[in-house]
This record gives sequence, C-alpha cells and structure tokens, in this order.
Amino acid sequence: MTVIVVLIVMAAAGAWELYVRSIGYAPTLNDTEDLWTQTRRAVQPESLVIVGDSRPLFDLDLDELEKGLGKRPVQLALPGSCAYPVLADLANDERFHGTIICSIVPGMFFAPGGPLLETSEKALSRYRKQTLAQRASHHIGMFLEEHVAFLKQEDLTLERLLMRLPIPNRPNAQVPPTFPPYFQTVDRERRARMTEKCAQPGELQTRIQQIWLPLFTPPPPPSYVPIEVFGPNMGKAVEARFQDTAKAVDKLRARGGKIVFVRFPHNGELKALEDRLNPRARDWERLLNDTKVPGIYYEDHPELASFTCPEWSHLSAGDSVEFTKRLVPHLRTALQL
Amino acid sequence: MLFNSLTFVVFFAVVVTAYWSMRSWTARKNLLVTASYVFYGAWNPPFAALLFFTTAMDFWLGARIAKARGRHSRRVWLVASVAMNLSMLGFFKYGNFLLENFKWLMAQIGVAYQPPHLDILLPVGISFYTFHSLSYTLDVYRGVMSPTKSLRDFVLAVSFFPQLVAGPIVRAGDFLPQLLAPPKPQTGRFLWGLALMTLGLFEKVVLADTLLAGSADRVFGYGGPLIALDSWMGVIAFAGQIFFDFAGYSTCAIGAALCLGFHLKDNFRFPYAAIGFSDFWRRWHISLSTFLRDYLYFPLGGNRVGWARAAINLVIVMFLGGLWHGAAWTFVVWGLLHGFYLVIEHTLRALIGEKAWADAFAVKILLGLVTYAAVCVAWVFFRASDFTVATRILRGMFGGHAHGDAILATREMLQIGIVTFFMILAHWSLREISLEQAVERLPRWVVTAVWAVMACAIILNQGNSNAFIYFQF
Repeated sequence: MTVIVVLIVMAAAGAWELYVRSIGYAPTLNDTEDLWTQTRRAVQPESLVIVGDSRPLFDLDLDELEKGLGKRPVQLALPGSCAYPVLADLANDERFHGTIICSIVPGMFFAPGGPLLETSEKALSRYRKQTLAQRASHHIGMFLEEHVAFLKQEDLTLERLLMRLPIPNRPNAQVPPTFPPYFQTVDRERRARMTEKCAQPGELQTRIQQIWLPLFTPPPPPSYVPIEVFGPNMGKAVEARFQDTAKAVDKLRARGGKIVFVRFPHNGELKALEDRLNPRARDWERLLNDTKVPGIYYEDHPELASFTCPEWSHLSAGDSVEFTKRLVPHLRTALQL
Repeated sequence: MLFNSLTFVVFFAVVVTAYWSMRSWTARKNLLVTASYVFYGAWNPPFAALLFFTTAMDFWLGARIAKARGRHSRRVWLVASVAMNLSMLGFFKYGNFLLENFKWLMAQIGVAYQPPHLDILLPVGISFYTFHSLSYTLDVYRGVMSPTKSLRDFVLAVSFFPQLVAGPIVRAGDFLPQLLAPPKPQTGRFLWGLALMTLGLFEKVVLADTLLAGSADRVFGYGGPLIALDSWMGVIAFAGQIFFDFAGYSTCAIGAALCLGFHLKDNFRFPYAAIGFSDFWRRWHISLSTFLRDYLYFPLGGNRVGWARAAINLVIVMFLGGLWHGAAWTFVVWGLLHGFYLVIEHTLRALIGEKAWADAFAVKILLGLVTYAAVCVAWVFFRASDFTVATRILRGMFGGHAHGDAILATREMLQIGIVTFFMILAHWSLREISLEQAVERLPRWVVTAVWAVMACAIILNQGNSNAFIYFQF
C-alpha cells in the first residue's frame, strides 16, 4: 500500500509540475523572510545597501551598480513594505557606516501601520530571531525551489489556489484586496526580474495593473474610530515618520554613512493615483527638505523618465539594466562618489 | 525544529535510518539522546543545557527519594524536586507576569512601583518537559515506580524528541520500561507511524494553517465590533484550528515515536463529540488532564470529599490548568470557565441522577452540541490577546453588535463551515473507537487514496510552516 501511495504522490506532483510549467511558471526562489535574513546578514560595515519597496528590487541591476559604484550592493528592498523599519534598523546598527539607496513610494513609506509596516517588521524579526533549524530549512528550500516550478508560495499554495475561486462576497464585507500573481524571478542575491509573460501586453499584465489600483488606494477609515479622531491620528503618525526618518538619517551620517532617496519610474493610472494621493511637493520635497538627503526623482531626468513600466509599477528585466546604467551617474553625484 | 519543516524531514530520515542500522541497543539510545538534543538545540542551543540541568537534578532527586528513610525525608526531597521544577517554570514563564501583577497590587495600595522588565526568552516546550521530568520524582515518591539507574535512559525519557516540546506529556513511568529492551523492527508498525505522521501534518498544515488560521487571526485581530456571524465564524475557526494544530502535533509525535519502535499514549480522542465537560477532558489533551488528575486533583481529595470541597478542587485544578497554558489572566479565565462548567455538570448529575432518556440519541446530540458551544465560548478567552478583545468578540457572538462590521470573505466562511462540519461528523462517527480500529474497518483502496490525498495536499502547501500553537506553552 505504501508503495502505491508513494507512486500516486510522485505521479500527482509530476503532473502538477508539468502543468504549471506549461502555463508559464519556471523554477525560482521564493522571496521569503529567510532569504531576506540571509541577505541582511551579508551587510558589512561599509556595504552599499538598497532598501525600500518592490521597485528597486525589479528596477536595479546589481551588476551595473557594482560596475558604476565600485561595490556589489546588498538588496534589502522588500515588496509590499514600508521601508522605514529597515532604514531605522540600519541606522541603529552601530557597525554599519556604509551607503543606502532608499526607494520612496510615499503611500508606503509614510504608512502609519498595517500590513506595509508588518512586512518589514516580520523580516527584521526573522533576522533577529532566526533559529538554526529555520536556517537549515531555508537552504534546503532554496535548493528545491531552484528545481521545482510549482514551489511558488505567492501563487501556487493551496490557500492561493482557493483564493482564486470566483465566490462573490457579501456586499458589505471588508475583504482585503487581492495580491498580484507570480510575475518575477528572484535569485539568491534577491535580484528580481519581471517575467517575459508580464513584460508583454496580455491578460497577465492587465490583471496586475488592475490589482495595483485597489492595493495602492488607502483603505477607508475603520468604522469604529470616529473620523474626527482618525484623521488627526493619521496626521500625527505621518508627522512622526518625517521626524523619525530625519533622526535615523542623522544617526547614520554621524557615523559617516551616506544615503540617497530615489523615486523610481511608474506610470499609467497608477501614477495618476499616486500623484493624487501623495502630491510631490507635500511628501517628497518635504522629506528631502527635512532630512537634507539628496534625492533623485526619475521624472526630473529625461533619460530616466523615458522608461515605461509594463504593469505600471516596475521595469521589465531588460529595461532595468539600462535604467540602472543611466541612474549610476546620478547616484555618484548625489553620493559625492 | 518544527515537524512541518524541511529540516525535520532530513533530520528524521537520517535518525531513522541510522537508528535501525545499529545493532547495539546502547548505541541506538545514545543516538536518540544526541538527536533529541540536536532537535531541541536547533531552536536555541543554550537552552539545551537548561534542559539537561533540570533532568539531571530530577534524576539525582529521584534517587534521593528512593533511598530516603522515613516519610518526612522522602517528602523533603520531593519538595526540592517540585520547587526546582516549578521555580524554573516560574522564572522563565511567569517572571514578568508576576512582576506586572505585583506592580498592579502595589498601585492599589498607593505605592508606585516600577519593576524592571526582565528580558526573558521562554525556552520552547518548558511546560512540557518540566512535567515529563516532574512525573518521575512524583511517581518515585508515590511508589508507583522504582528509580532508574541510568542517567542516559532518564535523559532520553525526558528529552525524546517526538514528544519533547509540545507533548504528549509522557510520564517517565510509561517511557522508561520501553528502554529496557530494544524494540523489534516491524514493518506494519513503522508504516502506521508514517501514516500517522502524514495525518498529523495534514491536520496542522492543511486544516489548521491553510483553511482556518487566517480567518481566526483576522477576527481576533480586528479592532472593531463584528456582527454575530463573523464573530461566531472566527471562534469556530479557532476551535477547529487549535484542535487540528495540537492534535496534529500529537499525532505526528506518536507516529514519529512509532517509527522508532516506541508507543506513546493517545493525547486526543475525538473531543468535539464529547457529551459534557468531564467527557471533554477525557478526550482533550488527555496527557495533561490525567497528569493534573493524578498529581493534583486526587491528592486534594478528588470528589470523595463532599460536594463543596470537590467543587473547589475542580476549580483549583482548572485554574492551574489554565495558568499552565500561559502567563496571562485570559488563560486563567479560560481554565476557571472550564472549572465552572465541570462544577455545574457534577451538580446536575448529582441532582438528576441516571435517567433513561439521557441515553436517547437526540438528547446525546443536543448535549454534545451544548458542550461544543460552551467550549467555543471558553476558547474566546484562550485566543483573545486581552479582555477587551474577548469582551468584544463575546458581545458580537451574542448579538451586541447588530451594526458591526463583516470582514470574512464568503470563501473563508465556506472553508470554516465545511471543515467544522466534517470534523464534528468524524468525531461523532469515531467517538467510541480508536483511529486504528476505524482504519482497519476501511477498504484498503480507501486508506490508500486518503493517505495519498493528504500527502499531496501537504506538498501543495509547500513551506507553509507556522509554529505550532502549543510551542508557546
């Protein structure tokens, strides 16, 4: 009986593997907290570190940055996250006096709480508390993920498959927005590359575009907090983030560290939404002014503004190399290299 | 090391292969001790030293108890063992809780005392291995067993990796005799062990983590009022999650032990088919309830001391049972609520006596559902992070938030409903028999298909490795 069970399981797993490969999946790493932790451990006192959201993860080519800046960067940007906790962690790390390239998406960077902040905090918590067993599992997992296509935690787990069922919700139900499906590969250095399927116009690209809009739209105020309390509280939280960021930058600089803020390309309806929710003068300009950190806003430079993000938020793998090449001189100037 | 991790798959394969390849029983036992300490040290190596220290102390104290002449000196050595074990537990698990409560008490009499926050890391499974170890000195004291002469055997009894961190609470008296002679390799027993491990992982990874945990977390983590449907769904989801999580771990532990030739007693016996709360505690976390019964309830006098005293005994036992689960008053209330349920049940039984109508199927079903509902109400305190959350959920469940929010997706409610329906159906179908008997009655092709489906579902969940809830205890 056991032999039959093993054969059935192997046949089912093999069939599933063939099926997912036939619909465009390929083996790649899952961008887990353990992979992030492994990368965080690679930070040396003088490292060049990238922090932020998913945009620098897709848009920056590590080889080009190494060529242009003379150091292999460490990729610590986290998709769907607020970059502040990671920035503060590096600023509080007395060992570290290197250089930070920090992506700013104001709607994410100034998030007062919730999942965006939790993503960063969970990764940091794993970095601080990772056990030997978790470390070992991560290394075994990476080996498997590099060979098996169906090991996609963000897309092909039973939970994710169930979420795809077209079951309508109650009209008044406050259900969280959907997350985008698989559209990138990730390597051991956490260099993400958009898949060709997503880079080309098609159903996947359109679906992801439409997923960004509700994801980037702030949720309505909770029904149980009066609006006259909620509004000022949010204001205070954003104000505190400006002040805390300035303090973190000061700490880093006091040890000889350097930092540059970067606004990466985005377009289409997503850009219109971001510009409306977070006007440049209100958030970006004030951040530069309060922190005295040099900033690179892609729109200010024609050679950076000429790229188009296929799904409105990230560059294709090919464009990311060229974009990085063109960004390097601006980084050198901003960081006085 | 979690059972639901890739590290454990490799670790277990290596240990089992090496174990059955060895001829010497001594070498096999040495291997298991080493493997158990590697298993435990993979979380936090220094705590393995603490585990060894308490084990070695109880080994020595057990020998002192056995050698002591006179009841008084025996008792002194036992008190030393109990004090040592409970002080370890008290420091690591209840240190900050006690300080916070002391601060509150001081504030009530006008003293502004600010205790230092002790940055104490809780050793994983300390509540379990403390009880494993303590059962030894208690049983030696009671004359139930003779002390072992082998420190290595006792170390293995306490630290045997399948049951080390989240139970079942295996008494030294049940485990040490199994170390006297090597188990014979039996293919059937080994395969049954593997099947149990698959079932346990399926319960944990698929049913608890994938189908129920998300909904329970969202309901208990929501900051506002919820309507009755969502409140009940969240609580029912947690009732299923905690069962599948903990019973899943126990089933894995029993299966892993069986693969190595050891028998661990059942820790769950289809508890959601319980009729009444005494029945529930005969079916839920059996190793803890029997531990508390034998070492606390009976010594207090049990139910042979009159109604009032027996009621107090029940409440004391359940109070401590609640506190054993966690250093928070919510756990205490959970325990007290169960104590209260038991007192009511005992009182009603005394008043009503044995009646023929109570054996009618419909009455049993009704009483079973009442038991399940009451257990669910108690779970609110177990799961809630504080009393504000517990009160909010309870108000929602009983219609206090008619205009509250709805936060669960239809899919989530369907998952909860389907899993709960089949869980309760399975518990009622199997309430009078063991899992092994149930499987024996099924055609082989059904068992093969179910086993394969469970294994496929586990693989489909890939790397979804939440820690077991009971690790924190």
